[in-house]
Amino acid sequence: MTERVLITGMGGELGTRVAQLVEQRAWAGEVVGVDFVPPRRRLRRAVFHRIDPRDRDKLAEFVENFAPSVVAHFGVYEPASRMSPASAVERTELCTIATMSAAARGGNLEFVVVRSGLEVYGPLSARASVPDEEVVPEPRTPYGRSLLEVESMVAGVRLRQGVPVCALRYAPVVGPHVPSPVGRLLRLPVVPVPAFADPPFSLLHPDDSAEAMVAAIERRYDGALNIVGPGAATPWQAVRLGGRLPLPVVGPFWELTSRVVEIAGAAIAPHVIEQLRHGRTGAGGRAVEELGLAHLVPTQTVLRELFEWADVIPIPTSREAVA
Amino acid sequence: MNTVSTIGDRDRLDVDHVGKVVPFGDAVRRRIDGNFPVDPFGFDPHLVDLVSPLFTSVIRVDVEGGEHVPTTGPASIVANRGFGLAEPAVLGIAVRRTVARRLRIVGAPSVPVLGGIARRLGAISASAPDMRSCLRAGNLVAVPLAPTWLRTGAGIPPRPLLQAMANAPIVPVAVTPGGPFGTAIAPWHVRFGPLVTLPDPYDPEDPLAAARFGEAVRDSVAGLLEQQA
Repeated sequence: MTERVLITGMGGELGTRVAQLVEQRAWAGEVVGVDFVPPRRRLRRAVFHRIDPRDRDKLAEFVENFAPSVVAHFGVYEPASRMSPASAVERTELCTIATMSAAARGGNLEFVVVRSGLEVYGPLSARASVPDEEVVPEPRTPYGRSLLEVESMVAGVRLRQGVPVCALRYAPVVGPHVPSPVGRLLRLPVVPVPAFADPPFSLLHPDDSAEAMVAAIERRYDGALNIVGPGAATPWQAVRLGGRLPLPVVGPFWELTSRVVEIAGAAIAPHVIEQLRHGRTGAGGRAVEELGLAHLVPTQTVLRELFEWADVIPIPTSREAVA
Repeated sequence: MNTVSTIGDRDRLDVDHVGKVVPFGDAVRRRIDGNFPVDPFGFDPHLVDLVSPLFTSVIRVDVEGGEHVPTTGPASIVANRGFGLAEPAVLGIAVRRTVARRLRIVGAPSVPVLGGIARRLGAISASAPDMRSCLRAGNLVAVPLAPTWLRTGAGIPPRPLLQAMANAPIVPVAVTPGGPFGTAIAPWHVRFGPLVTLPDPYDPEDPLAAARFGEAVRDSVAGLLEQQA
C-alpha cells in the first residue's frame, strides 16, 4: 500500500528537499505540500498548494480533505530566518494546530515526523553540555519554547490517535542556499563573538536534515532524536575559517550588538546569541544507529561550504554598461 | 559534492587516538587559520598535542598494568584522588604512552575562562548526561573517586555517574606520587588493574545493586593502592 504524504513548509529549502526525496520513493503515493511561499526547485510528482498558515481554517480544510497517512511537518519557522520573530512563532503555532488536528480528523493518519531543534535544551551548562535525548528540555529563548510547544502538540496526537510520532531535534541547519540567521551572521565581514568564552557549536548540512526526515518516515521511529553533524566548531574558530574579523562582545553589549548587526543586514534572534555565548551541541549517536545515518557531513565541512559560497556581486545591466 | 567529500576526509580527524606528529610550524599555521578539529565537548586534540611535550618533559611517569586499558572503544578509568592538580596530566600521559589514546577527565570546573580551558584540554562536566554522551561516542573517560582523609585512600565513586558507567568496561587505577611524603620528586606511579566485574544480573535502577557496584569499584582501586604502598 502506498502512503499519502503531506509535507508542511514545502516552500522552504528543507521542505523542498524532503519533497524531492519522498517523490522518488516507491512507497510514496500521492505527495502534496503546503506553505505560504512556493518551492524554488523543480518537483516531479509532488503537488504544491499555496496556503498561508495564518489562514488556519483553509489549511485545516485542505489537510482534512487530503487525509494524509504520513505528515512531515516542516511548517516550523525559525525567527529571523525568513520572517520576523513574532510572525515565525505565530505561523508555527497556527500551522501545527491546524495540520495536526485536521490530519487526525482525516482518519488515515499512521505517522508524524516533525522538525524540532537542539534549541529545546536551552543554553549548554554543567547540567548537560552535550545533551542526549534523555535530558529534560529547558528552553530559554522564544524559538526554543516554540519548538518544545510543537513537540508537545504533536505528542498529543500520539496520545489521542495512538500513532508513532518522531521529533527530529536538528542542530542549526546551515548552507549556502538555506535562509539561516546563523549562516547570515557568520558571513558578515565582522562577526560578533563572546569576549571571554569560545563554546563549541555543531551544525547540520541541509541534505542531511532531509535524509534524516525521510529515514524517520521509513523506519517509523517513535520518539525524539538529535540530528547533529559530527564534530563542532567554535565562534572564534569559525571567524578564522571564514577569514572574517572578530568583534569581541561582553554580556551587556549583546543586545546593542544585535541591533547594530540587524542594520548591517543580519538580524540576530535570541537563540543565535545563546548559541554564540553558550554553545549548541548534542549527542547524535542514537540517530546514527536508529536511522542509519552513517555519512553525516561534519560540522566544519558545513562551515567551509558556507564560506566557499561566492559573495553576491552586482553586475551592471546592459543599459548601465552602454552608458 | 566532490568538494564536500574531500574536505570531509580532512575533517574526519581522530579525536580519540593520538596520530602522527604535525611539524610545529604547520601546527601553528593551522591554529591561525582555524583549521583544527574540535569535538562537541569543546575538546581540542590539536592543542593537546601542542602542549603535551611540555607536560611530558616535566612530569615523569612509571606505568604498570597497561595491558588492562582498552585500545579501542568506550571505557571508564576510575582513579583515586590526590591533591588533584597533577593527577589528570599524569593519567593522561600514562594512557597516551600505553595505548596511544586521548583521555577525557570528568570534573570540568563550572567557571568562566578556566572551565573553557579545561574543556579544551579534555575535561567534561561531572554530569550523567555528559558521561553517557562521552562514552557513547567511544571515548576513554577518567572518573576520579571522592577525596578521602589526607587524600591517601580510595574514595567512593560519584553516585550519579554510576549508571552511565555501567554500560562500558571499567578499569581501576591507582595514581601515587613517587617521592617521600607524597612529593613528586621521583616519577609518579600509575598502576592499572583488571576490569571491574559487575554483579550479575546488574540493574542500575536498583539502589542496593548500585551501592554494591560502587563498593566493588572502590575496593578495586583500594586494592591497587595497597599494592603500591
